[in-house]
Amino acid sequence: MKRNLLIFGVGMALALVTGWAAFPHALYVRRAQPLEFRHKTHAEKSGLAQCDSCHLLGTNGEFGGIAEVESCAGCHADKMGTSKAEATLVDSYIKPSRETPWLVYSRQPANVWFSHAIHTRRAGLACKDCHGSMGESDQQRIYEQNRISGYSRDIWGHSMSRLERAPGDGMKMSDCEDCHHRRNVEVGCLGCHK
Amino acid sequence: MKFTRRDLLISTAGAAAGLVLSPVPWKLLSDASIWTQNFPWIPQPAHGPVGTKYSTCTLCEGGCGIRVRMAGKCPVGVVGVSAHPLTKGALCPLAFAAHQLNWHPRRLREVRHDGRAASWSEALAAFRKASSEGPIGIVDGRPGRAASSVFEAFTQKQQGSYQAVLSAESQALAPYADWSGVPVASLGYDMENARTVVSFGAPLLDGWGIPGRFTHLWADRAAGASDPQLRLIQIEPALSRTAARAWQWVPIRGGSETQLAAGLARVLLEERLVKSAGPMPHLTLDDAAAQTGLSAGGIRDLARTMAENRPVVAIAADGNPAIAALNDLLGAVAAPGGIVRIKEDTTPHVPDAASSPLRAMLLDSTVPWEFAAQADAEVFRFAAWDGGGNTAGWLLPAPGFLEELTDVPTPPTSARETYSVAMNLAAPATEVQSAAQFLLNVDATLPAVDKVIHARCEGIFRARQGTVYGEQTLALSKIDSAQHLEEQLRKGAVWMGDPPRDGRFRCELKEWPTGVGVSPAASWATAWALPVLPALATKLYQESTLRELPVGRQA
Repeated sequence: MKRNLLIFGVGMALALVTGWAAFPHALYVRRAQPLEFRHKTHAEKSGLAQCDSCHLLGTNGEFGGIAEVESCAGCHADKMGTSKAEATLVDSYIKPSRETPWLVYSRQPANVWFSHAIHTRRAGLACKDCHGSMGESDQQRIYEQNRISGYSRDIWGHSMSRLERAPGDGMKMSDCEDCHHRRNVEVGCLGCHK
Repeated sequence: MKFTRRDLLISTAGAAAGLVLSPVPWKLLSDASIWTQNFPWIPQPAHGPVGTKYSTCTLCEGGCGIRVRMAGKCPVGVVGVSAHPLTKGALCPLAFAAHQLNWHPRRLREVRHDGRAASWSEALAAFRKASSEGPIGIVDGRPGRAASSVFEAFTQKQQGSYQAVLSAESQALAPYADWSGVPVASLGYDMENARTVVSFGAPLLDGWGIPGRFTHLWADRAAGASDPQLRLIQIEPALSRTAARAWQWVPIRGGSETQLAAGLARVLLEERLVKSAGPMPHLTLDDAAAQTGLSAGGIRDLARTMAENRPVVAIAADGNPAIAALNDLLGAVAAPGGIVRIKEDTTPHVPDAASSPLRAMLLDSTVPWEFAAQADAEVFRFAAWDGGGNTAGWLLPAPGFLEELTDVPTPPTSARETYSVAMNLAAPATEVQSAAQFLLNVDATLPAVDKVIHARCEGIFRARQGTVYGEQTLALSKIDSAQHLEEQLRKGAVWMGDPPRDGRFRCELKEWPTGVGVSPAASWATAWALPVLPALATKLYQESTLRELPVGRQA
């Protein structure tokens, strides 16, 4: 009997180790951003301390998302320093007027309608409530792409169990619903899936 | 210690239990469900900054104002524009989903010749050969556009034939044009000032005329009221959507509209409910009642209702002269709330006639799909979308919704002259060409569409009258240059002309018309089937039952 329990336990332990330790490595492919970008440097040295300095939020609620290369060209029309990242930006994207293929950590499926204006202006949420401390980062994290869904690991969150998560870690539909419930805000299918 | 088959089964059971307690099955289930949203064959809108563009709907010739939500350079949503002077934010159901039509499975994506894939260069070579061998006929579904000027210029140079297909709404105005000499394009309905609208089968709430215009009028002045400001009386055999929303539905026998109009006219004249002394119909009231399936009392009540709630205008579904004569009798011609003249143009468009049999025909994408050529000619058929079962030799993919620069002249039924421009906001997924662009490739000396639009803007600017409705509402006299006007129009503004100084015209009617139907076919083009919908809209509109087909028409 003891022997059977031991063999059962070994099989179970192997599966648990595989599931919790090896599976995430197999599921996510690690991809580097096209060039290095430092939010902190831009905030401290260039006076772009506010998120909407680059991620424009118009008065009519339209959100610009990731800044287009035209915005970058406002300062980086020519190289200002000696960094390799800036050289790549100027030579590969600004001069040929080609958009930088950023890997967006928070990219949602196309069937989701989301208004940044409603969440920041009406609900008073800070950017980091959903995006974490992205704006204070001194280097970009490796982008981990789910091999099956194609989305970033940030959508599920970095904890595979989703039990203990920092603010902004995880952007699944259930996270939106939880936040709405906590704040007593109505939540319905057509609110986001129009 | 020997590892037995039993041990293997026990360890497998343990692994299975462990797997359930790991994230593997649950995460895979979650990811697989998301993966199904991202099948590679599902078109995904491009990523990019979300913005808004204003434009004019080009699905039909109605020209409703639209606000287009853009993600990057891709339209992802369409709503109405509340500042639009005619539609005031209302749209037809099709327009709300118009941005999706470009991704319709039946979208034409390649040149086809006799059912086989071909190339643009082959089509061009075949058209060049045809035009060198004989006259070309061009059929235009929406005359008056800049592209129409290109067609006319080509056929004039080539001594071919340019034919415009009148919409059902325009054909309904044809009797007034015949009797007064005012061109159809200079006539419209002043429904904003009407108190009663009597529709003889015209689908007023199902995409008729300028679809957003009457939808807004009905919603604003009639919906839900037992004694509305605008009384809509719908006369037709079936309880259509328009009939279901009308103040009064008058079910008559199919095809008896002429007899009902005669019966109404007889009551109006006999009971002296109208001032004018028009010709008396030959049909008696009892005969009209017997033929329409209504009672004589019912026809009498309807006539009294019309006379008591003026201004009243009767609207025909086609070119029925009896209904036009009824309007004349009611004093609704050249009067507020009735048939009005929108400009002082007195030159009717005379279709060109080909000097010899046509060698080939070019059908613009605005010509309804079911339109079939009678002439023995090689057919070059432009269309954004394949409606199936077409006998055209050449099928040429045309730009879809908001994929080409075009202008939108005054739509049929409008009570005021208008002009707007629809920009090419979306990039086509495959190589497409408009018919005008195709002709420019054949003959580079033809005027380009953008130059014609520029010239038209200059013409409007020189006239110095009207108002521009855009980001701001501005009198044209406040706009400093034609270039500024064109910029405004390209940004989605619409110019609306002032009413003509002299809007008078008279319909000379000596006897009550007995004939039915449209004006006699003047050419091989007007003898074709009555168009109802633009080619792009036909299939989806009909299959989605958003609009019922006219009586006798098969899907």
